[in-house]
Amino acid sequence: MPMIEIRDLRKSFGGLDVLKGISFEVEKAEVVVVLGPSGSGKSTMLRCINLLEDYHSGEVRIDGETVGYRINDGGRRIARPEAENAKVREKVGIVFQSFNLFPHRTAIENVMMGPVHVRHMAKSQARELAGGLLEKVGLADKAHQYPATLSGGQQQRVAIARALAMQPKVMLFDEVTSALDPELVGEVLIVIRRLAEEGMTMIIVTHEIHFARDVSDRIIFMDGGVIVEQGPPDRALASPSSERLKLFLRRYQGDYLAV
Amino acid sequence: MFDVLIGNLTYLLRGAVMTLWLAVAVVTLGTLLGAGIGILAAVGNRIIRGTITAYIFILRGIPVLVVMFLGYYAFPALGLRVNTYVAVGFAQIVYVGAFTAEIVRSAILSVHPEQIAAAKSLGMRRTAILREVILPQAIRIAIPPLLNNALTAIKQTSYASVVGAWELTYAAREVVERTLASFQIFLGVMAIYFAICYPLSLLARWCEKRLMATH
Repeated sequence: MPMIEIRDLRKSFGGLDVLKGISFEVEKAEVVVVLGPSGSGKSTMLRCINLLEDYHSGEVRIDGETVGYRINDGGRRIARPEAENAKVREKVGIVFQSFNLFPHRTAIENVMMGPVHVRHMAKSQARELAGGLLEKVGLADKAHQYPATLSGGQQQRVAIARALAMQPKVMLFDEVTSALDPELVGEVLIVIRRLAEEGMTMIIVTHEIHFARDVSDRIIFMDGGVIVEQGPPDRALASPSSERLKLFLRRYQGDYLAV
Repeated sequence: MFDVLIGNLTYLLRGAVMTLWLAVAVVTLGTLLGAGIGILAAVGNRIIRGTITAYIFILRGIPVLVVMFLGYYAFPALGLRVNTYVAVGFAQIVYVGAFTAEIVRSAILSVHPEQIAAAKSLGMRRTAILREVILPQAIRIAIPPLLNNALTAIKQTSYASVVGAWELTYAAREVVERTLASFQIFLGVMAIYFAICYPLSLLARWCEKRLMATH
């Protein structure tokens, strides 16, 4: 059974169709990188997986369980209560482009938030878990600093630790290096690659093509709300079959004259 | 020239004590009421939100003096006899509550929606998100305008005098009637109101600095 199953996912904002029928599966321990121009629906698709965005039709399953809706005996789509959605979100970690750390909490308190307030873990135990995770992302010495005093790269690593503290089965990364200064990108990507090596199931939306080649088992290229092409990275990135992916890669590989 | 003020100072200060009591009651209860309503306005359903919006907009559009009179005459009109201070306090609490509610509501809504997304993504439930993520950030935003609101509320207690609640301004008018030294007495009254409000102004400044430092 695949860890993530997405079937004919559709979503629109107002009259604008953002996702026009997305289907793919992600196996356990598989790393899928999603590429695509801005506005192609990548982030929306990612946020539908843990229901931060509602979707209009189709189906998302995590570990076999439907997300957001279930189908009743009459075949009708019934919205799940918020408590059930929260249960699903516990299994799915997400890291955002804009970090979204809690500014009124220190680094370690950010990481403790889920274990303490969702799992109801004792504070001492949560502190130990959080300390270990901060060490894993190389920030043990910043544990008691507030987010505002950390660099972007450090904040993003705290955000990864915060998501990992819930021991998720799946990790989603939504352009996590796009808001970072170039010299800070590496430290975040290294953490993500280590997670991949440990066998975490991941969907990574990124514009870092080299990283995508390096870390992914499969590339999915989205444009205009549909999947245009997918395949293993060496094939998809080296010899793309669609015109749109070719053009996209030319642009992102520094050929600024490519139009 | 100021002998008349010094001679009546004790009387005025007794009025000031009443003003302080009234102010403490109005500010505390008005802020509590407003905070509760403000939170409801931010998280409640459409009907609750609509009702609260009406309350806020109506009270905002009425001068506090008129609210005072309404509050004062409302009880007899309903066949109830209440203490003047209760009537006055009630009217002012309802008035201050509306302004407080608006401050709290907008502070809650100004917490970035991505903060809520981050909390949700950890699996946090509604009440935990409100308690651990939204309110702590909203309070930081709301404290400076709330202190300002409290200052206004304290000064507005002087309107209580028009419906016969004895406090500093009422006491001053009595003294003026007796002594005819209007200017000197009200200069003294001004100084007393200032002395009551100044510490709160300082606190507001101090909070502002502290809050800037942590963000």
